[in-house]
Amino acid sequence: MSAGGAGGAGGAGGAGSDGGFDAGLAAAQEALVRAMASGGPVPAGFDAAAVRVAAHGVLLKRAGEVARAWPALAASYGTAWNAEFAAWAAERPTQGSFRDGWDFARAHWDGLAGEAARELASAEIVWAYDGASAPRPRRAAARRVPGGVAVRFRGRVRIIGGPSRRRRVPPDGVPRGASGGYGLDQ
Amino acid sequence: MDLGVGIGWRPEIAGFVGALPGLRFTEVIAESVHPAHPAPELLELRERGAAVVPHGVKLSLGGAEPVAADRVAHLAACAEALGSPLVSEHVAFVRAGGIEAGHLLPVPRTRAALDALTANIRRTRAELPVPLAVEPIATLFDWPDAEYTEGDFLTELLERTDALLLLDVANVYANARNRGEDPVRLLDRLPLERVAYCHVAGGVEQGGRYHDTHTAAVPRDVLDLIAELCARHRPPGFLLERDGHYPPIGEMRAELDAIAAASGMAPVT
Repeated sequence: MSAGGAGGAGGAGGAGSDGGFDAGLAAAQEALVRAMASGGPVPAGFDAAAVRVAAHGVLLKRAGEVARAWPALAASYGTAWNAEFAAWAAERPTQGSFRDGWDFARAHWDGLAGEAARELASAEIVWAYDGASAPRPRRAAARRVPGGVAVRFRGRVRIIGGPSRRRRVPPDGVPRGASGGYGLDQ
Repeated sequence: MDLGVGIGWRPEIAGFVGALPGLRFTEVIAESVHPAHPAPELLELRERGAAVVPHGVKLSLGGAEPVAADRVAHLAACAEALGSPLVSEHVAFVRAGGIEAGHLLPVPRTRAALDALTANIRRTRAELPVPLAVEPIATLFDWPDAEYTEGDFLTELLERTDALLLLDVANVYANARNRGEDPVRLLDRLPLERVAYCHVAGGVEQGGRYHDTHTAAVPRDVLDLIAELCARHRPPGFLLERDGHYPPIGEMRAELDAIAAASGMAPVT
């Protein structure tokens, strides 16, 4: 059995079918997740090329999910979106597509314009997000956006000069409709 | 239970799915469901008598860590809210050491992993109001030092836990193709009488590997594998999974009709 390998029989924790925690299996799984999601080395014994291909596939899938939650952000990058997001996310494990997109947008704040900036501003006034834990709904807030001011009061977002928009608190931190459209369903 | 041909419900194709006249079976990603107010289109399907199966993707049954109680409770709440006959999840893990993989990862085919899976499936089943079906995943790589064949590993897991099998025909095809094996050999080693239903999907070949993307048409080889499976033991239902690059309605209908033809089930279009 290879070192750091399959977390095989007799792992450090000595789990049984009674459900005891197997520290050897846990460590082996963590090493694989680190290789897949945060740029860690591929553990011994694996087909490293295949693991890298799988990891890249996950990055592209994440890019697609973020594009559905943050359509204006993704659209602002055009055909470069997948590559830009994949490069940024390669060593950043996912926090869910809503937060991933938000983190990406904040990291690229300077370059955002038009709809992408408006999309970020809308999120910023609806949710309080510290960048480390799940966003929480704000009670009321206002943010300057291109072309005006976005104001949130009693659950509704109004961009002065723009359409009225609102977000509902979702079970998993991803706004309703985030997979199907703008995510600010009326 | 007879489910027939179904299609995975997604917000993008809710109109198409809701308009299928013969549909008696659909599936929804459990993590996208708000049990207090599920999508009205899903409730409408339920009203029509269609079975709506919550399909979890983030429980991490194969993780060394115990499944999260709130995730199990959510799955149970989805089943209650949708009047589901069963729920399904994966033979996989999706996080470790507090890090999300962002995808379903394979477990090692070892005694240790079998023990962890068994414990997590038992914990989950204890809280669910309905049966649980578990789905072996498609993977581009395997762990070293396997102690079981895939068939023996899954058979023992089902025996230990009394769970049902969600057999993804496209995953069987993808794994066999990427390993250079014959997919029919795995069918012959699985307890097919425990299959609750099957998944069917299309993928793409890239760089010499077949990726099960759910974004392309179902290949002829996968349809042929459906026929091979049904010649051995016909499962209660086949569900088409499509997760992007949605084709025109005519093509979606043709996909469902092809699955019906390959399985000998009634068309739902």
